[in-house]
Amino acid sequence: MTAISDAEKAEELSQRRTRMLPVLAILFLFQQFTFLNGGLGSGDRPVDHVRIAAWLVMSIVILVALTTGGGWIYSREVRRLANDEATRVHRDRSFRAGFLASMASCIAIYFLSFFEPMSARDAIHWVMTVGIAVTLLWFAFLERRANRDG
Amino acid sequence: MAERLANRLKERRGELGLTQAELAEKVGVTRKTVNTVENGVFTPSATLAIKLAASLGLTVEQLFWIED
Repeated sequence: MTAISDAEKAEELSQRRTRMLPVLAILFLFQQFTFLNGGLGSGDRPVDHVRIAAWLVMSIVILVALTTGGGWIYSREVRRLANDEATRVHRDRSFRAGFLASMASCIAIYFLSFFEPMSARDAIHWVMTVGIAVTLLWFAFLERRANRDG
Repeated sequence: MAERLANRLKERRGELGLTQAELAEKVGVTRKTVNTVENGVFTPSATLAIKLAASLGLTVEQLFWIED
């Protein structure tokens, strides 16, 4: 059996991450819209707390994965390679896009609240959903473009 | 008009018979990074530019130049 080098493992991790990012963004958005449409943000039943916790856990896992680059089961060298210079620049640009999208959603919510009152929990959901989803999708776009042969 | 960092990475890599993956392994990055530098999508740091030039047996100035 041929041993796979760290470089090949890093390539595999990078490719898999590129494929998974849009899927993760869609799953995340689906979960958020289910939550917001169901009006569960203001619910106080045990099931509502479980769903809120599930949303929070998913959001935190995605944020940590985005910040650290994920691939925690791989060795440090593989993770270093998979999070090389271009990847770090893509991540920084994605976070910038996510931050701007979050700020835009804050402004939109501020004006919408004059016409339609919104709970703090719902507002936080919108801001986090927009920020995380834009970061994920922007990172996916940059990574896919980088993998495309020119 | 915006300045662009042009390079002869692909040409030199071809002369030495190296694949993107082999060059990437030599400088400690992924194939994706070499691909983006080659295509002019990504401007490498000075550190990476020096490593790429050294791996290809050229100076940084021979490998990269600024185009208007």
